[in-house]
Amino acid sequence: MDWQRLIVSYLAGFVLLTVLLGLMAYMTWFERRVLARMQHRVGPNRTGPFGLLQPIADGIKLLAKEDIVPANADRLVFLVAPLLSFALAPLGAAVIPFGDTLQLFGIEIPLLVADINVAVLYVLALGSVGVYGIILGGYASGNRYSLLGALRSTAQVISYELVLGLSLVGVFILSGSLSLQDILREQQRMLVLGPLTLPNWYILSQPLAFALFLIAAVAETNRAPFDLPEAETELVAGYLTEYSGFRFSFYFLAEYINMIVVSLLAATLFLGGIDGPFADGVWWLALKALFFLFFYVWLRATLPRFRYDQLMGLAWKVLLPLALLNIGLTGLVRLWGIGAL
Amino acid sequence: MSLEVAVFSLLALVSVLGALGVVLARNPVHSAIGLVLSFLNVAAIYLVARAEFLAVVQVIVYAGAIIVLVVFVTMLVHPDDLPEFHGRRSLRLVTGLVLGAALLAEVAAAVLARGVRGAPGPWTDEVVAAVGGNTRALGQVLYVDYTLGIQLTALLLLAATIAAIALARPEAISDRVAAARRVLTISLAHPRGLDQPELPLALPGTQDGRVKAAGGGRPIVLARSADEFTEQPAWGEWRGR
Amino acid sequence: MSELSATHFLLLSAALFIIGMVGVLTRRNVLVIFMCIELMLNAVNVSLIGFAWELHQLTGQVFALFVIAIAAAEAVVGLGIVMALTRRTDTVDIDELRQLRE
Repeated sequence: MDWQRLIVSYLAGFVLLTVLLGLMAYMTWFERRVLARMQHRVGPNRTGPFGLLQPIADGIKLLAKEDIVPANADRLVFLVAPLLSFALAPLGAAVIPFGDTLQLFGIEIPLLVADINVAVLYVLALGSVGVYGIILGGYASGNRYSLLGALRSTAQVISYELVLGLSLVGVFILSGSLSLQDILREQQRMLVLGPLTLPNWYILSQPLAFALFLIAAVAETNRAPFDLPEAETELVAGYLTEYSGFRFSFYFLAEYINMIVVSLLAATLFLGGIDGPFADGVWWLALKALFFLFFYVWLRATLPRFRYDQLMGLAWKVLLPLALLNIGLTGLVRLWGIGAL
Repeated sequence: MSLEVAVFSLLALVSVLGALGVVLARNPVHSAIGLVLSFLNVAAIYLVARAEFLAVVQVIVYAGAIIVLVVFVTMLVHPDDLPEFHGRRSLRLVTGLVLGAALLAEVAAAVLARGVRGAPGPWTDEVVAAVGGNTRALGQVLYVDYTLGIQLTALLLLAATIAAIALARPEAISDRVAAARRVLTISLAHPRGLDQPELPLALPGTQDGRVKAAGGGRPIVLARSADEFTEQPAWGEWRGR
Repeated sequence: MSELSATHFLLLSAALFIIGMVGVLTRRNVLVIFMCIELMLNAVNVSLIGFAWELHQLTGQVFALFVIAIAAAEAVVGLGIVMALTRRTDTVDIDELRQLRE
């Protein structure tokens, strides 16, 4: 039992969690400013320079609110459901490689909390179990509309989870492994496409899978344009209706952490993660993840909301067949040995 | 007591507690939560047994899909969960638990009395690591020795999908209308007096030398209000308490 | 019993299976009975993994994988039937679902 590595892992996890929580708070700021700029207004600029203290103000406001539990609610489940969502959200970041090993005090610290060889399946498993936060929250509110919103949201999440998983099978076929370290290593090789020599990033060899992953990721995290279950104009706020104060903030922040983790994952799986032109480093990963986060906010500012039946129809009738097609094509390509594989 | 046994015991304990929660909870949703807890701990036990792929498959399929489906159906079928025990645990539950404990003691005695017999296979930890991990090793065994099993499972899942779609199809409006039309309703309060515009009845009296039954062979029901006949079950549809 | 062996797995499997069995026999809600059936299937999986662990075989894991796939198929069809039935009869009490008896 390698106690030293275990303790190093724990500390790395702790540091990662702190960084993620800080990022999540400032993601809200980022979204509000960028959204505002896209809508030709300014966004928060009064609380501190450029509104940088806004997340802190929001946090204080939400914590100071009265904690209301509906009389009809199932009390224990009502209390646990948002915690479940919030606890599962950052776990996905535990498998993302942030760099090679670091030498500190003579100990080799891999910049990765856990190097498991089924890393991508682990992330998908977290998504699967994360559904319970939604469905139990909707059930526990004791409110028919919350339940309906929760069921809709759950159906949406599990449909898009399927698309997400299948779109990644192409990446598995090309890299031959489920471990993120291995996928990263594969992407650091060179891909020869005729006269061009490019890094073997999977966005180039799997463009369809990339598009499907992106769409499915936006739908998984319940973000616009797929945010019907929590839209204000629809079922009040869907499964969030009865939650107030810091319980609401758990759901709300869980969504942002999910966005960050999915962006990191997309950057690692398709854009090569820490791979960059001059030197490998965590800043390249941060840049790529930031691009995806910007893309999320951009989608929210630009696209109108999907209607629920359009949303489900898109998943099952369009994206799923395309994902299967992608798997078939990738398998054939691998069989015939096209490209530098 | 090695670390593995200690971790296994803890996980097994929580798993059994979750399972007891399934059986003892009043509310079906609480049962589902207990079941998820049990399955997650069993997945962790699979990790202790170095079956990583199976552990994640257990979480994704069992805990993340099957139980979600069960919770869905619980909500759709009976959103106001009726507590089943109405205040006290029924006698049959207690009897069941006592007999179950006795059976468990017997099985435990049988298991502890003898060990496992069987030839050890080739897949020790070193061999698995040499091949490239549990997933790879499993893939090798699965796709070489059990190809037929995979094909059959795929067929089975296809059949299950088709069955699910067939069972969950909503009733078409035309079926409902046709069902309603099988019962002729005369309403004493309806302005027209009948639910169907044209009178399919034969007028009382002889036709072809026989008196035709009123209603054309269909049952006639008297309704008290205009709304009543829209809720008539079709003839033969089970409706009763 | 200082090393993890198949005996541990078998005891856990027996416990889960018997709890599931008691649930199937004593509960009246159709959905809870269904959940107990899933518990029994899972118990069998645990024992299969136990054997795979002790005998260094992967056959146990392969079997467990097939059991999970079949459990998924069975869950889908079973829940479809439960939904169709309870929609018609408006009850989830298994003592009330006795059309085949009469």
